[in-house]
Amino acid sequence: MAQTSAAAAAPALTLVRPFLDRSAIEVDGVTKRFLQRDALTDVSLAVTPGQVHALLGPNGAGKTTLLRILSGIVSPDSGRVALAGVDPRSARHLLGLVPAGDRSFYLRISALENLVFFGRLHGLRRRDAVERSRQALASVGLAGEERKRVGLLSKGMQRRLAVARALLCEPQILLVDEATHDLDPEGARAVRALVAKAARERSIAVLWTTQRLEEIAGFADRVTLLDTGRTRFCGSVDDLIAHSLVRRYVLTMPGLDESREIVALRASGALAGRGDIGVVASDRDRYVLELREQAVLGDALAALTAAGFPIVACRPDRSEIEEAFIALTRREAE
Amino acid sequence: MTELTYAASPSRVRELRKLSAFVRRDFLVLWSYRLSFLTSFVGLLGGALIFYFVGKMVDPAAIPTVGGKHVTYLEFAVVGMTLGGFVHLGLERVSAALRNEQLMGTLESLLTTPTSSQTVQVGSVLFDLIFIPVRMGLLLLMLALVFGLGLDVGGVPQSLVLLAFFMPFVWGLGILAAAITLTFRRGAGVVGLATGALTLISGLYFPLSLLPGWLETVSAANPLTIAATGLREALLGGTGWDSVGGDILLLTPLSIVSVIVGTLAFKLALTRERRLGTLGAY
Repeated sequence: MAQTSAAAAAPALTLVRPFLDRSAIEVDGVTKRFLQRDALTDVSLAVTPGQVHALLGPNGAGKTTLLRILSGIVSPDSGRVALAGVDPRSARHLLGLVPAGDRSFYLRISALENLVFFGRLHGLRRRDAVERSRQALASVGLAGEERKRVGLLSKGMQRRLAVARALLCEPQILLVDEATHDLDPEGARAVRALVAKAARERSIAVLWTTQRLEEIAGFADRVTLLDTGRTRFCGSVDDLIAHSLVRRYVLTMPGLDESREIVALRASGALAGRGDIGVVASDRDRYVLELREQAVLGDALAALTAAGFPIVACRPDRSEIEEAFIALTRREAE
Repeated sequence: MTELTYAASPSRVRELRKLSAFVRRDFLVLWSYRLSFLTSFVGLLGGALIFYFVGKMVDPAAIPTVGGKHVTYLEFAVVGMTLGGFVHLGLERVSAALRNEQLMGTLESLLTTPTSSQTVQVGSVLFDLIFIPVRMGLLLLMLALVFGLGLDVGGVPQSLVLLAFFMPFVWGLGILAAAITLTFRRGAGVVGLATGALTLISGLYFPLSLLPGWLETVSAANPLTIAATGLREALLGGTGWDSVGGDILLLTPLSIVSVIVGTLAFKLALTRERRLGTLGAY
């Protein structure tokens, strides 16, 4: 596998075999192939009780396939998968699942009756199922909606209902598949807060798949980055950020009289080969600085300041996690 | 570290308890379509009326005697309609329920609960198993009151025993149909073809003597024919337990084979879907 020099400067890839002892979720060397496509190749990870483990990756990375293997819906071609030490299909009573999409409820019946039905399939007696369902609805802020048909609930409410269902029977393992991908920021935050609280208070092992990079900082304890079915990274969020190779910055330079294109051309000249300057279409005071490999940000800023450019602010164009994601996935592609 | 415990496979009692949850769910879904719920009764009565008027055109001499008694076409056809309702239930309901769960997106959610696939199968049709006989019973009662059907109430126990031995045959075919649906998604065509072929040579709605000779011979081995003849003898002919015994002897091996084949096919289909990862796909 070829690596760029910039990539070589980053910390080494953390492709360590996860520690399999005491794990609630164990995935060891799992491979799955669908017809002509490798969905997963030798994927390993482990999640301990109380831990939120983010499974990060672009579309088609294999995140949902791994979750479906863990929930016993799909069989792996090779490798070992265990929930609480046993085969997933023998551990269904320990499992809570928040599936992707909004099609996992009976839309014509009420939120309460849906939860009661699934509670009873987990072996609860009706009276207990009703009581627990009411508690679960209250815990996700849907106490006032219990008699409303699920089809009449908003997407955000349906997603919270899915979390309530997953937590209904006190699972020890929670698999959450892209629970926030079509929610507004507030709705997404509410769902994350619910899951984080459950993981912390009930020591639930959570495997959370997402392609929203911004949601893993401050939420996930560990991250596995999947790309085209392969593990590109497995470690803490801080370790992931260490892979960040920020090369693009947004500079704020107000009060320049010349046309923006002329400013960008003149600034690129001032950088003397350290990088290039482009314009930000939506904001006339902002410009994008793209550093070349080996160029140092401080030197570039000093050169621009010396050439009379009034730089009042400088920030990375993308978050550090996003940069790490791009660096890790691009490196493999190269 | 949190202590992680896990139980053995779900107990039979716990699985049986889950069945009432399916019944309640299906009642609530049906009740949410109240107009359809009520009009289905009217539709059934309409169907019976059609048979009543068709019966007026039919030459009574063309209707075979049952237990030595002459019966009207309506009496002949109503028993066929009743059995046809059960056949439809067994053959199509399992696969239709499964298909519905696939389309609703609830199949994967169901199968990730600690519930056996057999419970899901039975649970999916249990409401109909209760509802359809009640509906059929009401229809028979209504027809008996309005048109004066000569039904022998004393033959009801024999009829129920006969149905108990016949329904596993239909059930096995129904699970086979569900396996086809699971594998090919739109398996309704195959199921419809099989149902149509079996019904054509069953004598449910017209006397078998109207069929070509060779087809009439084939129809004698059709379990639907055996059940229909047995039901008519019990409900219309008042022949008692003697004739039912022979029918049960014929139906039992067919039912056993049907259930075994259906169950194996469903298991294979489920394993294939798990391997391909397309269980919830529609």
